Amino acid sequence: MDHQALALEMRGLREQVTGITDTAVAAADGLLIAADTADSIDPEGLAALAAAGLGLARRTAGATARGALRRTVTYGSHGCAAFYAVGDTALMVVLGDEGMDVDHLHRATQPTLNRIGSILTDKATEKAPEGV
Amino acid sequence: MCEAAGGVMSGHEHLAQALAACGRDGFTGELRITGTPGGTFHFGDGRVVAVESPGAPGPEALLLRSGRVSGEQWAELVRESGGSRWPATALIAHGYAGAAQLRVVCALALHDAAFAMAAGRVEDCERRATAEPFAQVPLGEPPLRLLQDAIRRLTALAALPHPVHPDRERPVPSGTDNGSGALRRELLTHADGRSTARDLAFRVGRGVYTVTVEVARMLEEGLLVCAGPATPIAVRSLPDGDELRPRTPTPVEQLPSPTRTDLPRRKPGSFFRLRNGMPK
Repeated sequence: MDHQALALEMRGLREQVTGITDTAVAAADGLLIAADTADSIDPEGLAALAAAGLGLARRTAGATARGALRRTVTYGSHGCAAFYAVGDTALMVVLGDEGMDVDHLHRATQPTLNRIGSILTDKATEKAPEGV
Repeated sequence: MCEAAGGVMSGHEHLAQALAACGRDGFTGELRITGTPGGTFHFGDGRVVAVESPGAPGPEALLLRSGRVSGEQWAELVRESGGSRWPATALIAHGYAGAAQLRVVCALALHDAAFAMAAGRVEDCERRATAEPFAQVPLGEPPLRLLQDAIRRLTALAALPHPVHPDRERPVPSGTDNGSGALRRELLTHADGRSTARDLAFRVGRGVYTVTVEVARMLEEGLLVCAGPATPIAVRSLPDGDELRPRTPTPVEQLPSPTRTDLPRRKPGSFFRLRNGMPK
């Protein structure tokens, strides 16, 4: 896995979509891989919540015949938290303030998810030092 | 040192032409601006009656972040107003704000959103006609006057000794001076090196122009400094020797098919026996 490429994707998304405040990438079981979060956020807990939230949403989609799960978004009065599945093995969390255009986020996220999926499954790339 | 705000922002001419055309045509509907931060001008008979942009807090964010209305109260007001995006009547009826105060908040937010879009990058402008405009101010602003006001603000910002862009510099506090004034104290509390002036404006519930000017002044006075390179994102090695395991799909539990069963049949006299303890 190319650590630098993953960090660049996460930072690039934050710069691309106005209003993104934090991002994180975790394994599908909730184990944190990378976090670009403010000090007020516990990234480990956030990753675990995202895994549980996506799992519940996936089961809900299945039980109600809603097809493949695309994402879950939690809306609050001060912003929203979006959880995206990255293939079958990982997930991405995006937090945004109330100004973030969520439709724009969903459009901007799709190519990022594909690239992050490739980065996570790429075994050929030599590891960069941690903390890129 | 922070990078100085650039001169004329990109896309001004394109935006000015589109706004002028909407005014000339007496357009009613939305003028959607794609770009960064982008947004929407809402027109009613050729006048701008609301502006929304991810680059500036709207009236709802200004009211909620200032603590004037709580999130729960807002949800109740929206329900009471039949799902309205802007429950102005209910806000006044419940005493959360006066009619004049709301007009001021809406006018400020309208000018602020126009400023944020003018300060950003404009890629395209697309009209979408609607029967009823989303209006937050009763009379509306002539579109070109609105844009001129935004350009005047940009010029004033660029003329400051330490100009900043609403969506670029990410300052951190410097020194021990806590600053004077509520806004300065709040900005010092929330400036964490991750937030731009735009982010701080949302955080403290103030206009993005006001916050950008204040950040520029605080940078000049040395209360804030621009953060160095962004803190690196710590990336951990993958579990299980650099390989992610696919999620184990949980089989969806099928709900048991409803089988038709007869409801329990009431036995005549059961209640009477229960009350009076009569033998069966």
